[in-house]
Amino acid sequence: MKKEMLTGNTAAAWGVRLAEIDYIPAFPITPQTEIIETLSGWISEGAMDARFVTMDSEHSMVAAAGAASATGVRVFTATSSQGLMYGFEMLYTVAGWRVPLVMINVSRGLSSPITLGPDHNDILAARDSGFLQIHCENCQEVLDSVLMAYRLAEDERVLLPVFVNLDGFYLSFTREPVEIPDMDEVRRFLPSYKPEHAFFNANRPMAQGVAVLGGAYYSYFKYQMHLASQKALDVYKEICRDFEKEFGRKYDAIEEYRLEDAEYVLIMTNSFSTMGKAAVNRARDQGIKAGLLRLRLLRPFPEEDIRNAIREKKSVGVIDQNISVGKGGILYSEVAGCLYNEKQRPFLISFIGGLGGKDISPQEFEFIFGQLIKGAGAEKVESPHLLYTQEEWEEMQKLKEIAGKE
Amino acid sequence: MLKLRFHGRGGQGAKVASRITGTAAFLEGCHVQDFPLYGAERRGAPISAFTRISRGTIMERGVIPNPDITIVMDQTLLSDPQAEPLAGLKKNGVVFINTPDSPAQVKDEYNIDAQVVTLDITNIGLDMLGSPIISTLAGAVASRIVGIGEESLKNAVEKELSKIITDQKLIAKNIEAAIYCFRTLELLKIKTIQTTQRQDSVIRMPFEPAKISTPSINTTASSLLKRTGNWRLFKPFWDHDVCTKCMICVTRCPEGCISLNEQGFPVADYEHCKGCMICAEECPKKGIKAVRESGSDSVEVMGT
Repeated sequence: MKKEMLTGNTAAAWGVRLAEIDYIPAFPITPQTEIIETLSGWISEGAMDARFVTMDSEHSMVAAAGAASATGVRVFTATSSQGLMYGFEMLYTVAGWRVPLVMINVSRGLSSPITLGPDHNDILAARDSGFLQIHCENCQEVLDSVLMAYRLAEDERVLLPVFVNLDGFYLSFTREPVEIPDMDEVRRFLPSYKPEHAFFNANRPMAQGVAVLGGAYYSYFKYQMHLASQKALDVYKEICRDFEKEFGRKYDAIEEYRLEDAEYVLIMTNSFSTMGKAAVNRARDQGIKAGLLRLRLLRPFPEEDIRNAIREKKSVGVIDQNISVGKGGILYSEVAGCLYNEKQRPFLISFIGGLGGKDISPQEFEFIFGQLIKGAGAEKVESPHLLYTQEEWEEMQKLKEIAGKE
Repeated sequence: MLKLRFHGRGGQGAKVASRITGTAAFLEGCHVQDFPLYGAERRGAPISAFTRISRGTIMERGVIPNPDITIVMDQTLLSDPQAEPLAGLKKNGVVFINTPDSPAQVKDEYNIDAQVVTLDITNIGLDMLGSPIISTLAGAVASRIVGIGEESLKNAVEKELSKIITDQKLIAKNIEAAIYCFRTLELLKIKTIQTTQRQDSVIRMPFEPAKISTPSINTTASSLLKRTGNWRLFKPFWDHDVCTKCMICVTRCPEGCISLNEQGFPVADYEHCKGCMICAEECPKKGIKAVRESGSDSVEVMGT
């Protein structure tokens, strides 16, 4: 084990290197490029024994990844934002093949307008594809999640592809100390992939992802994916326990931060959760019983864990770093949905923050806690409430002036 | 309500037949629904189409598992396990079969309980229209069985064909052929009864590991098992006196069905040949004949 300053992207690349990947079909896109660059560098130096192929697009890339995975080798690929959109058609296809590849998405806002800053509309658009989704808060978690993702994907009870998600810039290019485990430790946790499941073999003709004309057949295959994804929740927890035994770091489907006696709770995901935790600490200093619940696994959606964590809280603010245009925050709807049948449930408020990488300031967190404390007694809350400051509004006015808008 | 199900092979016109029947009934003032159902479109593959006709509002959608009237546009479908044209037919329903055989023969051969009507509309098509596309003829037959008036049928054929062809002469010929079929059949009495719901319960689907629940096929040789030879209307027949062994037919066969015998003459794998007759079209010596296949008898209708 050694500790080094790594960006989120190089931490991801280390995860892939330690997982002893066989094949990487690649297509670069900012802010994911560094992952691919690092891996291709290692392969050309001979530090990694993997086949690296640059593809003509993300669509081909996902297709190649799925097909290679179906031969029984360990496959990795990565993308971001518009690239994910371009490969989107193949996501459903390879998930339906039930191939255990791992794909990293470095979240970046979707055009238009074009930006390089992060939000999660890219990865959340893929939430129904059959891929499982692990969302990371820091660079260490990125490396660790890649290793865990392979264990999860390759488990015979699951056999679904897995996304590991990290925020562009906030993690992708942000360096922080990361523990790099030794190879033999990793091999104990993640042995090489030995598929029992049918896989492509030149000597044995077969067809995969075949046509099924008839809704009953189609429903069977689709619903089995759903059941496998649900099963993945228990499998994932087993993997977390094994991971802790081997490496000492503890993960779960959700992370509870100062939640035990909390009355006012933030629900967040990904790197902005760090800022959320700082806001919880500040609120605690002021005597507010604040806490934070970070969703680490979004597919399968850990409903029971979420219910248990917030059932008896006074009020909960879901901060969505995404916007479902015409509806609001995606996670808000999901959290609200899983609480509906609870007799005792917290007051739930929806906030949209951090879109396209927009900072969430301490004042904005204070505003959120203010709203949460007002809670059910408050006047009708604007839903969703976009986090936006006076200063940002004034900046925007200046920009409009420059653009010649009256 | 009357529920009709049409069974044909891709290209024969089952969809148009169902639309003609639908439009004819619509012109008679009925409420109507019609729609086709097919997979990846292939000429010759089994397809079906559906028509619902009612005096009141139709509160149903989708496939018709229990038709009152079944129109079988190709006799070979009766022995095709994928097509199952007789499935769900009501005991007092009507089944029309396109065949030269008599109703009694067919009833006996396929063990059919329902009322059987037969007419060789393929031959009528070949005689009157010069091709085995029998959409209007099947539409006419269905309209007759339903009890639609002749004028509505005529207007429906014109209306529907005008959407797909511009040749006025061909449309006129189709109307003529349709009316011929219409008049050839006797008017039937159809009793409709309410469909009894199938007794079936809703289950909770159990989890099955990916090894089982992935849409993969591990058994080999599936194309060999699926014999597509019964899709044929015409069978290629080689005249080895004319054949120069140029092998153009071998290379042009889209199904790879033609191989050479020990003497170097082309022979077809009739279990898989779909009878597209591209070989005959491409033969420079015109040494391949199209032989009409009809039940057990083969009738030569096209010469060299």
